[in-house]
Amino acid sequence: MITLPPRLEDAQEYLDKVIVSLRALDRREKQPLVGILEYLSEYIRTTRGEVADLRSSSAGPVILSQASDELEEIVTETARATNSIMSVAEDIEELARQVDPPLSTNLQAAATRIYEACGFQDITGQRITKVVRAVQHIDQKISLLAKLCGTEMAAAESADNADGPAKSDNDLLNGPQIAAAAQSQDEIDRLFNS
Amino acid sequence: MPVDKKLPIMIVDDYNTMLRIMRNLLRQLDFENVEEATDGGAAMSKLQMGNYGLVISDWNMQPVTGLELLKQVRADAKLKGIPFIMVTAESKTENIIAAKQAGVSNYIVKPFTAETLKTKMESVLGAF
Repeated sequence: MITLPPRLEDAQEYLDKVIVSLRALDRREKQPLVGILEYLSEYIRTTRGEVADLRSSSAGPVILSQASDELEEIVTETARATNSIMSVAEDIEELARQVDPPLSTNLQAAATRIYEACGFQDITGQRITKVVRAVQHIDQKISLLAKLCGTEMAAAESADNADGPAKSDNDLLNGPQIAAAAQSQDEIDRLFNS
Repeated sequence: MPVDKKLPIMIVDDYNTMLRIMRNLLRQLDFENVEEATDGGAAMSKLQMGNYGLVISDWNMQPVTGLELLKQVRADAKLKGIPFIMVTAESKTENIIAAKQAGVSNYIVKPFTAETLKTKMESVLGAF
């Protein structure tokens, strides 16, 4: 009884064996079948190669994980900024209590408009959370595809390794760091002055 | 009967910035007796222990959503009569229907204005 191979890698190997066996047969009718099977085998080989490239290149799992981190950092930073803005609005309300109308009314209305506008952080945070989930979903699907293709390998050392030397000026274009990893001005000053 | 501005209000949202916005807007309306919770489960515990006159809740929270909180409140003998306003970015027709079927008192879609908040609160509490 033939057991169907569970992995694409095994399927390709099986297919190649069938092709070899068929080629050995001395029958003209086998040609179209051999042609189709060779096409399938090559298609599988190419697909596995593409998936392997995806998992081992810098456009692989590290980038997706970094994308999630960056997006979550946006939520944190906007929350921080929003709280700062609201503190100012609260100060304005306090000032409003110390002056007479119409100035007090105008200041209160201004503070209200600031509170209303600050609602943006909630909306953007929810949108970003949706994107993070989508990125994580894509990452999971790619991992599963790599496993099915038999190309699950340890991710290659990223060329963007932060501790390694930059290969070109473009490698120095990293943008803002995640807060937990970022160096403070004091740390930078110490490094600069060392 | 005039609305008691000392009415205890429970506000529920998983975003602390939104809780702060809501608290400030309620304070501008002279409602200062405000309690907060960051998810439906925590809110339900506080509601069962307290004596609240209004719940203002977000929908999209984990592990207990605002809709689940609403259903729990309406299923609770002590809490079922509390006015419940949903304040959420969920704006599809199916959301509104689900909230109404669960017994929501009113529905505010984010982003909202102070005026909208006042109008919806007056619709469930009476004019103030």
